[in-house]
Amino acid sequence: MKTLHKLLVLGLAALCAAGASAAPKKKKGELNLYAWSEYIPQAVLDGFTEETGIKVNYETYASGEEMLAKLSAGRARYDLIQPSDYIAEAMIKNGQLLPIDRSKLSHYGNLLPEYLGMAHDPENRYTVPYMTGTVGIVVNTEKVKEPVLGYQDLFSEKYSGRIVVLDDGRELATAALYVLGKGINDFTNESIAGIKPILAEWFSRVKLFDSDSPKTALLNGDVDLGLVWGGEAAILWKENKKFRYVLPAEGAHMFVDLLAIPKRAKNVENAHLFIDYILRPEVSRLISADFPYTNPNGAARKLLTEEELANPASYPKVDRKFDTFRYLGEEVAEKIDSLVTDLKNAR
Amino acid sequence: MHGFLGGASDNPHARRPRVWGWVLLAPMLAWLALFVVAPALILLAYSFASRGALGAVQFGFSWDNYARIFLPSDGRMIYVDILRRSIGYAGLTTLLCVMIGYPVGWFIARRPPALRERLLMLVMIPFWTSFLIRTYAWIAILKREGLLNGLLKASGAVPHIFPEPLDLLYTPTAVVIGLVYAYLPFVILPVYASAEKLDGALIEAAHDLGAGPLRVFREVVVPLTRPGITAGMLLVFVPAIGMFAITDLMGGARVPMIGNVIQNQFTKALNFPFGAALGVVFTLLFVLSYAVLRWLGGRKTEKAK
Repeated sequence: MKTLHKLLVLGLAALCAAGASAAPKKKKGELNLYAWSEYIPQAVLDGFTEETGIKVNYETYASGEEMLAKLSAGRARYDLIQPSDYIAEAMIKNGQLLPIDRSKLSHYGNLLPEYLGMAHDPENRYTVPYMTGTVGIVVNTEKVKEPVLGYQDLFSEKYSGRIVVLDDGRELATAALYVLGKGINDFTNESIAGIKPILAEWFSRVKLFDSDSPKTALLNGDVDLGLVWGGEAAILWKENKKFRYVLPAEGAHMFVDLLAIPKRAKNVENAHLFIDYILRPEVSRLISADFPYTNPNGAARKLLTEEELANPASYPKVDRKFDTFRYLGEEVAEKIDSLVTDLKNAR
Repeated sequence: MHGFLGGASDNPHARRPRVWGWVLLAPMLAWLALFVVAPALILLAYSFASRGALGAVQFGFSWDNYARIFLPSDGRMIYVDILRRSIGYAGLTTLLCVMIGYPVGWFIARRPPALRERLLMLVMIPFWTSFLIRTYAWIAILKREGLLNGLLKASGAVPHIFPEPLDLLYTPTAVVIGLVYAYLPFVILPVYASAEKLDGALIEAAHDLGAGPLRVFREVVVPLTRPGITAGMLLVFVPAIGMFAITDLMGGARVPMIGNVIQNQFTKALNFPFGAALGVVFTLLFVLSYAVLRWLGGRKTEKAK
């Protein structure tokens, strides 16, 4: 019995200690953040909490559609989300976002003008750019000696079984649209029928589909070429300069990931504080270090190292103007998904 | 169960449980109702709905989603094909697991007790590691510059027996390896449990009566370990139909399984009702295969008795 008593007292003491330490130091509220997985460094979140005392509840999603689906389902109340360009466009059209009060963002001027006033939000009323990037071809120049300039080269017969591509129906379909000579968002019944044989041929040559970490297969040497996110290519280049990044000649697009405040947000004030925090050059710089996409923050770019700026996947030295995805509606999204499932199934 | 429901019981000493029986069962029944029955009904309701803007759901009543699954389009039934493929992989996995797992389970059961414990630990320990990590370990083994090819190169098998290093990863072979590895313990353990109960005297008796080893195996051992085999098959086949994580990780997401398609409806195509319909068909498939396997197992056990 004596031991039992001791244990009980110890247990109670432990509980009290836990309770005491759980009490927040400053009660400044919280922020419900819903963002891409692997896109906001923990150091940034911790820094924000330390400075403002605001607790960040960080939840993640693996696709823009997943985020849309969860918000449409109605129950969730998030304060800040991270939609991509066309998803944001859909949400603005459906009145799902709150306007952002730019007067609260003291560091807004750091953003480079080329990333403002874009098609999804021409007046910059609802969104603030977070990170941008491109989707392109990575070539392991040690294994592949010939020049690879575009999709036709990438998917040629001689590389069959040595290619990795993103597991993203829209990305692949868009690539096929470019080869067909159509515009980036030109999805009609006709063009969808037109890309079917192109994609069928490509799929027969692909070794694997991977949207999460296509760099793994390239690093492992299981594949020699890939159609990947710019950030993945940048990480590959940092690992080993043999990985060359090529923006396809037939057509390439850029994407812009944004910060936005959903309609039913509770902590709008805190959301603005967080956005302003992200816009600081020294914070944005931390994001670039972990996720070497193209940083839209001009002041942050000045803080980057020479090597980071020289990374051809992060900051491609081309004069081309890139388009972004536009919102196409669920009908088209469904047709694309059906097409890709059908083609994958037929193999 | 018979006694509980008030009918004739196998056990002549069983008393009829009254109120207390129900009270004790209540939490379990509530849990089942809340977390199994209710979600299934919700899924059923969604499957008859249709999709609205931005992925919202419009509740109505239409058979459209089921029509899409079962009626051919362009002469092909995509989703039935996918279901068939998932079942095919699950079936192959079950077969291989039984073929490999049965001898192992039997072998362990016939060892002396101390050794038995240790061998069982060897079977169980990998289970304590995360399933995902074990799958990634297989990737490290099977990849082109991986451990298997390293072994083959070092032993000289690569230039002499195989001209090229083996390209196993991201092929159906890799998927089957991954599936069999994941589900093997689910056969070994039930077979072990069955085999352990087998009285060695029965085998001796059969030998004494003049049966050769093959006949003993076929007519004495297998029928008496049938419950173990059936349990093993159920534990492998039914979950394996839905296992798409291994197809994605080790198969390179090249071939869609029913799990992938359902996931896509919720995350890419934003068509919740269609995903729900696929889910309902999938659940019915589970129930059907469970029923069939139980019937097969039950019938043979009766014969054995």
